[in-house]
Amino acid sequence: MQNMKKKEVEIPAKMFKIVGRKEETLEEIKRSHLTGWQDGWLRLKQNKAAMISLFVLLMIVILSIIGPHVNTYTYQQTNYDAVYLEPNSDHWLGTDKFGRDQWTRLWEGTRISLYIAVLAALLDILIGITYGAISAFKGGKVDHMMQRIIEILVGIPNLIIIILLIMMMKPGITTIIIAMVITGWVNMARLVRGQIFKLKNAEYILAARALGADGRRIIIGHMLPNTLGIIIINMMFTIPSAIFTEAFLSFIGLGLQEPLASLGVLINDGFQAMRNHFYLLAFPSIVIVSLMVCFNLLADGLRDAFDPKMRN
Amino acid sequence: MNKSLSRLFVILCLFLLVISGCGFTDSKVNKREKVLNLSLDNDIPDLNQVLTTDGISFSILNNVMEGLFRLDENNEPQPAMAEKVDISDDKLTYTFHLRDDIKWSNGEPVTANDFKYSWLRAMHPDTSGAYADILYNYIEGGEEYFEGKVDESKVAIEVKDEKTLEVTLKAPSPFFLGLTAFATYFPLNETFINEVGEDKFALKADAILYNGPFVLTEYDQAEGVTLEKNSEYWDKDNVDVDKVTLKVIKEKSTALNLYESGELDRVYLSSADVDTYRDSDEFGTETEFISWFLQFNFLEKPFDNVNIRKAFQLAYDPEQLTKTVLNNGSEPAYGLVAAGVHGNDEKTFRELSGDIVQPDYDKAKEFLEKGLEEIGELPKIELLTADDTVAKDTATFLQSEFKRNLDVDIDITTKPYSGRIETMRESDYVMGISRWGADYNDPMDILSLWDGDPLSGLRGNYFNEKYKRLIDDASNESDEERRLKMLIEAEHIMLEDDGTLGPLYFEGKAYLQKPHVKNLIIHPYGASLELKFVKIE
Amino acid sequence: MKRFIFLRLVNIIITLFIIATVTFFLMKLLPGSPFDEERLSKLSDEARLEFLAKYGLDQPVYVQYAKYIGSLIKGDLGISYYYKGQTVNALIKDRIGPSMLLGIQAVILGLSVGIILGIIAAYRHNTIWDYFTMLVAVLGVSIPNFVLAAILQFYVGLQWGLFPVAYWEGYQHTFLPTISLGVTVIAIIARFTRNEMLEVLQQDYILTAQSKGISECAVLIKHAIRNALIPVITILGPVFVSLLTGSLVIENIFSIPGIGSLFVDSIKMNDYTTIMGLTLFYSAFFILTILIVDLLYGIIDPRIRIHGRE
Repeated sequence: MQNMKKKEVEIPAKMFKIVGRKEETLEEIKRSHLTGWQDGWLRLKQNKAAMISLFVLLMIVILSIIGPHVNTYTYQQTNYDAVYLEPNSDHWLGTDKFGRDQWTRLWEGTRISLYIAVLAALLDILIGITYGAISAFKGGKVDHMMQRIIEILVGIPNLIIIILLIMMMKPGITTIIIAMVITGWVNMARLVRGQIFKLKNAEYILAARALGADGRRIIIGHMLPNTLGIIIINMMFTIPSAIFTEAFLSFIGLGLQEPLASLGVLINDGFQAMRNHFYLLAFPSIVIVSLMVCFNLLADGLRDAFDPKMRN
Repeated sequence: MNKSLSRLFVILCLFLLVISGCGFTDSKVNKREKVLNLSLDNDIPDLNQVLTTDGISFSILNNVMEGLFRLDENNEPQPAMAEKVDISDDKLTYTFHLRDDIKWSNGEPVTANDFKYSWLRAMHPDTSGAYADILYNYIEGGEEYFEGKVDESKVAIEVKDEKTLEVTLKAPSPFFLGLTAFATYFPLNETFINEVGEDKFALKADAILYNGPFVLTEYDQAEGVTLEKNSEYWDKDNVDVDKVTLKVIKEKSTALNLYESGELDRVYLSSADVDTYRDSDEFGTETEFISWFLQFNFLEKPFDNVNIRKAFQLAYDPEQLTKTVLNNGSEPAYGLVAAGVHGNDEKTFRELSGDIVQPDYDKAKEFLEKGLEEIGELPKIELLTADDTVAKDTATFLQSEFKRNLDVDIDITTKPYSGRIETMRESDYVMGISRWGADYNDPMDILSLWDGDPLSGLRGNYFNEKYKRLIDDASNESDEERRLKMLIEAEHIMLEDDGTLGPLYFEGKAYLQKPHVKNLIIHPYGASLELKFVKIE
Repeated sequence: MKRFIFLRLVNIIITLFIIATVTFFLMKLLPGSPFDEERLSKLSDEARLEFLAKYGLDQPVYVQYAKYIGSLIKGDLGISYYYKGQTVNALIKDRIGPSMLLGIQAVILGLSVGIILGIIAAYRHNTIWDYFTMLVAVLGVSIPNFVLAAILQFYVGLQWGLFPVAYWEGYQHTFLPTISLGVTVIAIIARFTRNEMLEVLQQDYILTAQSKGISECAVLIKHAIRNALIPVITILGPVFVSLLTGSLVIENIFSIPGIGSLFVDSIKMNDYTTIMGLTLFYSAFFILTILIVDLLYGIIDPRIRIHGRE
């Protein structure tokens, strides 16, 4: 829009120099050859928000692994002489009503939340890809049937089913993951199917074929990278929503078993005590918000980086 | 396109106006009125006195209805609808003489027939609810009537005349007058129920006839109720408050915010907030007749062994649990019968029976060793508990204490409240955190549950011939001193000799109450909220 | 078109039937019962069975199922166990008002603020405006709304005294819950609008309009925004889901007598019929939302031929 306002500048002809026309360099590829991945990574590196997010995420993951072992406490060790301690040099993030060390519990909880979310997302993807790929490659009647099933599943509000399933099964990590996966894979299946359909008819696949690429090369070299991008991006969006779902379930009292901690359990405990022990709510909230923000920004960045439409 | 968008917007706005118009109920407060604002911690499930089993419903009914007797501030029954009662020498026949000036809120007099109708209704197999036994366990012929074996003429409730009611009991029950203060014993007016219709009765504020100190003017299950002074009430001169609102507030933090903003006159604190307010003048605690205990299952290893049971019974300190973990006014329990339950005229039962189970970690270890010699190794032990915060906290506490004092690892299984009870009833547990809230002010109420006839999973499948005989004898004993001795002995046998369960605590609540509210009584059992005597300064 | 709607309706009925069946059998598998079990434990086994018989719970499961489906066809969701004497239909009817009002207000708030933020962000792409909007959008979906609600209640309600802390007694009582619910909606919509706008601004017809010499403002309003807003309708589905999730916790925090809090309570109380009824109600509402979105989209956007879509 701004361009059209620029005034025309006169450039005298003597400023030009004729360099001639060289047949051999005309078709030369000047840019160094980059695979789609390298290209995407380069783009991602230019996205400051995404890089910072990636860094913060790595920090959180590292902390969630080593954090619980940095001090002498364990996440379930109670001490009734030291309940509700404010953050201090001994208990860096204070203690809860059982006198349990919050630093340890926070990272333990982060680890469990991440574990739940990543595992749920991976399972979603596994089932989704299988279902979507079968549907897309088989086509015809099989595809039609499988699509009808999906249409029905899409109409069910996930959360309600998750709640009902958790009520039925023994509460615990496995239950939460199963409940989330049972309804969660549908989206992925639709995405994968749509993508494969699109790719089947894409012009560059045709071009590759015309250039003599065999089926293997087409699938590994073209179809897979292009589908994988979407899958990874979707996973980056699935993980935070799984973290959120877990927190939500814990908040309405359908969470993990004591003394296990997760971010949801910690936030729920903190919520009960927020009036007078705000730190109990603050720290897990900060971690969950950072996780959500970082995953979202990273996902945005990845999408921008791998989406050809965004190329200048 | 713009047009259709704006049209959509206008339609939405109109729609909004319509629902916002009908979504609210206006409440105008008259400044000169004496108003009390309280909260309820959950929805009101129903106000049908026969069917309801819910503490919230009982609390509301207790203030809009009245039985023959009403509990006073010391939880002793005082004449209410009845002016006086004659009790026969064998303590089996009660003759109630009703007051002359008692009326329903529509002006009709309350008669002995209203009581008979209501009580029969509460015991009839078609109309009764889960509280039928609170009548038929005591009234002669009641159980047979409930089972449909006999007709109402065989039930020993007799209307002598309009104002005289005679009831014959199965066995001497010193707590019977207290029972007549309970919701299931309130009168009902047959003509009114027929007018309103069975299926509509008690669904709305105007579908109930009141005879208590207050009448309901607004009733919404999800929002709460408004009570106003009953102008037909016989003792209305002693009712100081004009209006009471009871609003449903499910989150404790919300209630506390409302209390601080002055919209509530009383609020229950969550344990995390107690320390902050402990020194405030507005702070107080109350204890209820609710006993919490750790129930061992006699049919499951390792708790079929008495030494193992005793080891777990002694391996934790209830005082630490109540002081640091619960921190809500609960009292540590060293026996089963709740503190404050009636004993004799001078002392409570708990004082008379003493502290039976006291923590002793060394002894606990000895018992554990002895037990292990007998049974070999400990199997994996799961502790069953309900999923509410208090029960879960208790479980977490026990888990850490067993680890610390016995070096035994146990797992916790949580179930929803009624799921926990179902699992225990089906005997599908090793040990579980359980509770019992008293229906009446007598140790018999809780002690009779363990008589083991038939074996009950909920009671750990406990059976002891001697214990059962003591309970049976006590039920038929008319001498109160002898009866009391038997019950004390029974409690000792069950806890000390058999290690049936580990007492945990007697449930309490911590609250804040505005200083201008006086005389608000919370009874520790039955229908707990008592607004009749409240004074507002 | 008619065929499309007919097929969709058949699909909806099948979906609802499946949901009804699944929830019914899930209910049978749930531990516990809707009654005061502590109380019932005092009754003898026969008395207990007799008590269950009053609710038809002593019959074989398939008989109960047939009865349930039978009454469902007539539109009867059954009688609540917990709210004794109330039908589930009446419960939903009583409670739907506040939830609907809050939901609609949150959507209006989300649409108006979200769209404006989205447009500004796209128009001022890669400026501080853009970053600010994206920050709002990311934070909006990242902060759990029950945390937000608690904080709003404490500060705005109690400390600053701007709005009522809780209850449902007048229009001002809807403000805090609406904001708590609406923030997520704002975030979703702002983000979506921004992306749509960015795409539209790259289109050829924008360039055409610009080259015709139309003022920038007119280009923006007449060409860009109009076309960017059409797809916003499609995210009403996710918005509905976020409102549903939010209402489950927010209604309890603000003591609002809506169906969200009814649902959470019926779960806690094992009130089977109410859980089943609300599950069906939510599903039906959700499915209809999706259907309406699809139909509206086809009507508003002439490029789309419904029968041509997958």
